[in-house]
Amino acid sequence: MFDAAMAVVKPEMKSYIWLQTVDGSIQQVEEEVAMFCPMICQEVLQTGLGSSKTYAISLPQRVNPAMLGLILDYCRFHQVPGHSNKERKTFDEKFIRMDTKKLCELTSAADSLQLKPLVDLTSRALARIIEGKTPEEIRETFHLPDDLTEDLCQEEKLEPLRNITDDPRIRLLNRLYARKRKELKERKKLKDVEVEEEPKDERSVEDLLSFINGADGDIKGTRANKNKKKNRRRKDHAKDISSENTNENDKELNPLPSAYHDVNFDNALEASASKHSRTQNLPAINFSPKFEFIDGDVDDDLDPAMKEELDREVEDFARRLNSDWPERMQILSLGQDRRLVPISMNSNGSTHLYTGFDQR
Amino acid sequence: MMNYFPDEVIEHIFDYVVSHSDRNALSLVCKSWYRIERCTRQRVFIGNCYSITPERLIQRFPGLKSLTLKGKPHFADFSLVPYDWGGFVHPWIEALAKNKVGLEELRLKRMVVSDESLELLSRSFTHFKSLVLVSCEGFSTDGLAALAANCRFLRELDLQENEVEDHKGQWLSCFPDNCTSLVSLNFACLKGEVSLGALERLVARSPYLKSLKLNRSVPFDALQRIMMRAPQLSDLGIGSFVHDPESEAYIKLKNTILKRKSITSLSGFLEVAPHCLAAIYPICPNLTSLNLSYAAGIQGSDLIKLIRHCVKLQRLLIMDCIGDKGLDVVATSCKDLQELRVFPSVPFGNPAAVTEKGLVAISMGCPKLHSLLYFCHQMTNAALITVAKNCPNFIRFRLCILDATKPDPDTMQPLDEGFGAIVQSCRRLRRLSLSGQLTDQVFLYIGMYAEKLEMLSIAFAGESDKGMLYVLNGCKKLRKLEIRDCPFGNVALLTDVGKYETMRSLWMSSCEVTVGACKLLAKKMPRLNVEIFNENEQEDCSLEDGQKVEKMYLYRTLAGKRKDAPEYVWTL
Repeated sequence: MFDAAMAVVKPEMKSYIWLQTVDGSIQQVEEEVAMFCPMICQEVLQTGLGSSKTYAISLPQRVNPAMLGLILDYCRFHQVPGHSNKERKTFDEKFIRMDTKKLCELTSAADSLQLKPLVDLTSRALARIIEGKTPEEIRETFHLPDDLTEDLCQEEKLEPLRNITDDPRIRLLNRLYARKRKELKERKKLKDVEVEEEPKDERSVEDLLSFINGADGDIKGTRANKNKKKNRRRKDHAKDISSENTNENDKELNPLPSAYHDVNFDNALEASASKHSRTQNLPAINFSPKFEFIDGDVDDDLDPAMKEELDREVEDFARRLNSDWPERMQILSLGQDRRLVPISMNSNGSTHLYTGFDQR
Repeated sequence: MMNYFPDEVIEHIFDYVVSHSDRNALSLVCKSWYRIERCTRQRVFIGNCYSITPERLIQRFPGLKSLTLKGKPHFADFSLVPYDWGGFVHPWIEALAKNKVGLEELRLKRMVVSDESLELLSRSFTHFKSLVLVSCEGFSTDGLAALAANCRFLRELDLQENEVEDHKGQWLSCFPDNCTSLVSLNFACLKGEVSLGALERLVARSPYLKSLKLNRSVPFDALQRIMMRAPQLSDLGIGSFVHDPESEAYIKLKNTILKRKSITSLSGFLEVAPHCLAAIYPICPNLTSLNLSYAAGIQGSDLIKLIRHCVKLQRLLIMDCIGDKGLDVVATSCKDLQELRVFPSVPFGNPAAVTEKGLVAISMGCPKLHSLLYFCHQMTNAALITVAKNCPNFIRFRLCILDATKPDPDTMQPLDEGFGAIVQSCRRLRRLSLSGQLTDQVFLYIGMYAEKLEMLSIAFAGESDKGMLYVLNGCKKLRKLEIRDCPFGNVALLTDVGKYETMRSLWMSSCEVTVGACKLLAKKMPRLNVEIFNENEQEDCSLEDGQKVEKMYLYRTLAGKRKDAPEYVWTL
């Protein structure tokens, strides 16, 4: 309203540009101030917009009214030709004294308006905030995700356990680890959405449990569970075929597809076989040389991830590697305990094992 | 908050983050920052050339322009590392050339550089601008000639303390006549003659030349002509400063110097006649850096007269012949002093040299001091406590008592309390060198208080394994640990082996560790290279587990065992 009054009082002394922010509010700005922004300047020259309220220039989404106010303050000061360098510097130093969140918003808004001097100023200020901080502190300051080590931790946890006593349960666990590592690799290639991640994790646990429970008694309740997992297994089977095709396309001359095929064949047998057949198949799977080959190959592929980790020269992470051993040894000991527990105590064993997974 | 930033803005912010450690921190924040940092990083520092392969470096930082590499362990400076241990730069230059990296700057320290390497370097990178070689060896002036001839955009050639075979002085003539890009030229460490005509012409056609350091073969009158042609110089290293004060050349130089107000850094005086020093007094009031650590010809009283004029000094490197009296003058005159290095003038110390009195005077007069290297004859706990109180801002504190096991001469006690005061008071201490008689107590202090310590040098100190364990447990940011002639053994070595993966390297020589312990360590930690040096010819057939290790050097690496180790280096 005051702006309108000024316009009425001095209609020929100043021109105005009308600007509209994303929330719909429109305001009138002195032309020389607004034109200091390259983006606004281009818009006026190219489209003729901005000359009236009904033809206001629509500003980018990143410019909200508060940020626009700050930006116009900056422009008002700097578009006046008479200031000395010292005065400009003093103004700038006072101008960027604001909290980090606001500084980020201002940088983003200034960038969308292509106001390079202000982007330089705020970028430098943000760089000064970053200097001297640890990665954790930077994440906290700017609310950034700790996603760099997520996959690495998962892969690390899925490394094969040493099977010194040739325990079939550990062998099964290693086999599931190998499958999970493959899934992780595929996810990386296909850039799967994170949402799918959790269901896969859950399936991994259930798959393991199904193997262990499936080998035991034939109580009716157990049979019911078996039916459910059989359905889920069919879905997995289809997915495996799909992934196999993908791999074949990627690695035409790689012998892996035949190995994958054999594994899938074994899975198919398990899915369709009776209880007796499944029990009989376990030893065959345990001693399959191709299975070992797959494991070895996957292990080699893990090297880059470990190398990535060392590149980062972070003490905490290196120590985390060592601290992970107790968890793994715990799983191993659970396996051994399970071996020693009588069959009649199956439910307790299962519970312990599940607890181990939770901790992991 | 930053999630909705476009990549260009984040890149722009990263452009203002310049220190290596800050860039490293950026790359560990999250996936998108890792990716952006990887693509925008141009300057990389590798503290150990065997910690990673060149191929891995190039893969990780495709936009690499500037590389800093270090080779041999620091104790090479004290002749503890054999000449042919390793640290070859050639594989790096080969890989960078093969992958067509746009290398512009290369900084090397304690590396073996051959003429072949320099030749390949000079031909492989179109826009190569800058070569800095510090304490390197293996090359001759033939390699320098290749650089001069082939690097059309060369700005900086900085040779510091290198061992250079000097075939002939014609390498300066290899700079082409259209070479005008030089900003910095340092050949002070070359021993042979250079072509004075070529040098003067080169200086004359280099309008941007700011730093020039001459070797001892450049005589007084050539210096005068050079200063006449290069009025823009701000950093001057004088080779020879010997002439008759009555001569025309001396008078000319004196007049030339009177007109020069641009010089702020002065060094050299490799040959000097003290009676000529008065000629440079007019330069002194503007100096912020003065390096007379090679000026053996300037003795106590002449040195004092010179320094009395240098009231703006921030950085001073001198020999101990300045004496405590001279340090008093430094303390009185140089209120802005930040870095002081006092070197021994004769190998085993000068009886008239500096003591704790000089250091105390400096600490009282120079409150801004934060970096010290001090070779001296003796030191007391009381002095160290006073110094710690006066100068709590030390980042680097390196004390080298020339009698390495000397106690406090006033009390005959170990120097534990003195160094304890230093680490307790100077909370920003990053580098520490110990000497004098010391027990495990000093290591307890270090472990407790030196939270930011990154590099520690220990010699002839400690009583048991506890000393080393205090350090390993307490110093969370430790990167380099150098130990010689200390009674640390297998328990100290093997108690916290995970620590070594968070460090760059560990050196132990003349200690109590055995071959068996080193083997066990290597087996436990596959990402460490554990090297044992077996320099005795008679024993090269076998290494028994119970045998004591004379020299051991371990470092973390992604590259595995190196293939260029000489026969006497066993990588376990």
